[in-house]
Amino acid sequence: MLVRGVGLGKSYRGVGGEPVPVLSGVDLEIKPGEFVAVIGPSGSGKSTLLNLLGLLEPADAGEVWFDDERVSHLSRRAQCRVRGTAIGFVFQSFLLIEELTALENVLLAARYVGRDRQAAGADAIALMERLDVAHRRGHYPSQLSGGEQQRVAFCRAVLNNPPLLLADEPTGNVDDQHAQVILAEIRGRVQARGTSVLLVTHRPEVSVQADRILRLGVGRMESG
Amino acid sequence: MINRSLFPRGYLFTLFGIAVGVAGLLALGAMAERITRFIQGGDRFVLGQISVAGEGIGMGTGFTAGGLLPRFKIQEIARVPGVAAVQAQVMLPLNTTQSHFLTLTQELVLGLDLTVPTPNRHYGELPVRAGRFLRDGDRGAIVVGTDFAAARGLRVGGTLRLGEKDFSVVGVLDKTLTAPDRMAFVTIEDARGMWLQRDPMLGRAFGGGTGTLAPEDLNTGAAVAWQPGVKPDELANRIKATVSGINVTIPGELSRLLQTSTAFFSSLLLGIGSLGLLIGGLSLSNVVTAAMFERIRDFGIKRALGATDLQLLREVLGEALAVSIGGSGVGVVLAWVIGWGIERHVIHEGQQLFVFSSRLLLFALAFSLLLGMLAATYATLRITRISPAEAIRRGA
Repeated sequence: MLVRGVGLGKSYRGVGGEPVPVLSGVDLEIKPGEFVAVIGPSGSGKSTLLNLLGLLEPADAGEVWFDDERVSHLSRRAQCRVRGTAIGFVFQSFLLIEELTALENVLLAARYVGRDRQAAGADAIALMERLDVAHRRGHYPSQLSGGEQQRVAFCRAVLNNPPLLLADEPTGNVDDQHAQVILAEIRGRVQARGTSVLLVTHRPEVSVQADRILRLGVGRMESG
Repeated sequence: MINRSLFPRGYLFTLFGIAVGVAGLLALGAMAERITRFIQGGDRFVLGQISVAGEGIGMGTGFTAGGLLPRFKIQEIARVPGVAAVQAQVMLPLNTTQSHFLTLTQELVLGLDLTVPTPNRHYGELPVRAGRFLRDGDRGAIVVGTDFAAARGLRVGGTLRLGEKDFSVVGVLDKTLTAPDRMAFVTIEDARGMWLQRDPMLGRAFGGGTGTLAPEDLNTGAAVAWQPGVKPDELANRIKATVSGINVTIPGELSRLLQTSTAFFSSLLLGIGSLGLLIGGLSLSNVVTAAMFERIRDFGIKRALGATDLQLLREVLGEALAVSIGGSGVGVVLAWVIGWGIERHVIHEGQQLFVFSSRLLLFALAFSLLLGMLAATYATLRITRISPAEAIRRGA
């Protein structure tokens, strides 16, 4: 899937209510099957960029296109469909639901797109086995280590085989061995399924594995 | 291991919050129900018979103000066209040392002429919980109302001393939630004897043999039954016009008078009910809404995973329904325990303060479910208006 962000801008309200610009006029394009890493200092707007491309919040300016569909201007209901079927998110803070087990958290991705529960369950367990967390499927997030939660969150993000994977520090809380497992899984998806990946990272050893690196300054794209 | 999807974060608190709201609503509602039953019972009673007393300012006590009603007056009433039966009665306060003003529902002794069937159309047969009702010739026997019995620990076969005489308890009435609960029933002969003992002047008048009065003239009033098809108010007016020297109550007028005199209680009732709805409703909706907002992060995550507003609403309504039913169930138990505890404390006073009727329970359940659903819907609609990213940030 060809993903394009055109003139993306976003501000948040400051303490005094004044707008604090986070992103301004950002253009980017991710080709089908392309693995792109985004780097930049803290507060440069990397996570906000992911949120805008993933339709998690509306941009103040600019547009998001998936192939020839301007998804940023779709209705709320249509955006829900796009999020459920076309985008996979790996959040920096995992964002697992505390009341659900690891397996239930992974299966949550299938629930809202109407996938067959049994087929999704088999896929989820196979995925969790590859990521080495299947033995923890019945445990709740609070009973998992940070690395295990990260891998469960990754499984949830890719369960529906989305054509776009947006990952915010997916290896931030895992050891080197498991970081390599996650990166191999991402690489495999890029090569085998043509998944487009936009990955935010601070780790140079991760960014070097990407096809292309985008550097975000304070709110602006500096290179790419 | 506890299944957390059955008890999500904060939902146990929510359940107890709802329970407190429902318990408050039910307890206040049950008190209101109690007052309603009492007023309704009184109204049914006055509409079920024509009460008559002698002219004057009253002897003893009774359903109507008036003096002695001698036997010949009762015979005159019985001859009025449309009258089916006239039952002579003697009604006395149980405790003559207490003022009527000190108590809302005074304990009474009612002596009945059992040669005549009970004339009241609505209370023709008082429900007996244990033993039996009085029969003609049951001298020394007494039937007591349920609160009267509970206040004294009376059972069938027990003995109750009234004045200088011991009475054998032959029956205990079932709960009527109105005046008979605090009454004792004896034969009219026993009631007359009791009255003579209590009133020395009356005793001298009857015992001296100087007057023309006989024991059968010693009646505080009479209850009149009408024949089928006869309009009670018209008959009461006919009795009034035909028989001189008596006080006749017109059932319809007395009912209206009762409604007017209980207007205060009706207002109190309305106030209690409204308060119950307000307290229970606010508590319940507040707790459900707070529980939903507490889970704003989960809503954000689910929306990020593609959940539509409708899917979320369906999930939330299911949860709200389950937690409202659970909370209502606990609330019912809580209210019942509170009521039981209070009644256990005041039962020695012979009072019932709460009536947990099925209509009240159904109303409370429906009310809590409806309010729970509305609160959950409101919270969901509020949350889905903000972006998934913002919901996640706020819930972090």
